[in-house]
Amino acid sequence: MAQYRTQVRIIADVLCTARDLNTEGSGVGVTALLRRGNMSYTRMTKLLSELVGSGLLLELNREKISKYMISEKGVQFLAAYQSFEDFATTFGLRL
Amino acid sequence: MLAQGDMALIGDMLQFIGVFVSFSIAYVAFRGVRQTESSSLLRLATAFVFLGVGFLVEAIVGLGDLLPSLSVTATAVVVGGLLLETTGYFFLAFSHAIDVVLAKRMGTALLVFPLISLSVTQLQDVLSFFAFYFVMYGVVETIWSYKRTRKTDTLLIAVGLSLIAAGTFFQWLSLLYQYVGVLTLLQIILQEMGLLMMFVPVLTYRSAGGVKLDGTI
Repeated sequence: MAQYRTQVRIIADVLCTARDLNTEGSGVGVTALLRRGNMSYTRMTKLLSELVGSGLLLELNREKISKYMISEKGVQFLAAYQSFEDFATTFGLRL
Repeated sequence: MLAQGDMALIGDMLQFIGVFVSFSIAYVAFRGVRQTESSSLLRLATAFVFLGVGFLVEAIVGLGDLLPSLSVTATAVVVGGLLLETTGYFFLAFSHAIDVVLAKRMGTALLVFPLISLSVTQLQDVLSFFAFYFVMYGVVETIWSYKRTRKTDTLLIAVGLSLIAAGTFFQWLSLLYQYVGVLTLLQIILQEMGLLMMFVPVLTYRSAGGVKLDGTI
């Protein structure tokens, strides 16, 4: 059965993808984020602009193509998210 | 053999441990709410705030029995403490399954429960029974979660909740038979052992920075 993803879970998934796929340090494109993120283009672009606005993601403009990489703040947020996810899972809950 | 006064003193001290453990869990859960805006953690924190305040009320009532100058004998206070505890167990049980709106509705229903014209003893019986029911629900859900995650800490929480369930069952029995000696002490010991097991995630929790969803620190 498919599990309902909360907003914070979706954000954590996007940040994880931006971190894991950024192997060359040149950022990750929207297509790759969409493929892993499992959501519509409109929703993804809205979420990306929110994450860039909050400083969790960095936007790199290369040859008119926007690419994204996780910021230091984003790494810190992910670490906090994972520790609280662990805490919630211990109580049998999902974040 | 322990005298009635000694048992009351031990029981009272144990209640204060329960207060400390409940507020510690609530604190970590609230930090999680601030950083992740998670509704599950909000329900968990709410549950332990209710439990903590409920234990505190019971501990103060217990102190009143030991120190007449601090006497708090109002029946409403005793029932209020039990009601807070039951509401805490309610939030703990249903944080697993239901959405916030429904939880609020049912929580409100629990809070207006005393309006039903029951005698004080009947009211305590009913609240203890509900507390037992809610904790048992939590036990089943947590065991189910353990089957999925296989985390040792989750198993500890399930065992802790089972001990609390046994405690609330004894509490119910002691009220049902109007017997407030050994059964009450046994109830508090089981309850506190259960709570101490639930303290493990707080001990193993490692704070990892304070960045919130909106990027503020």
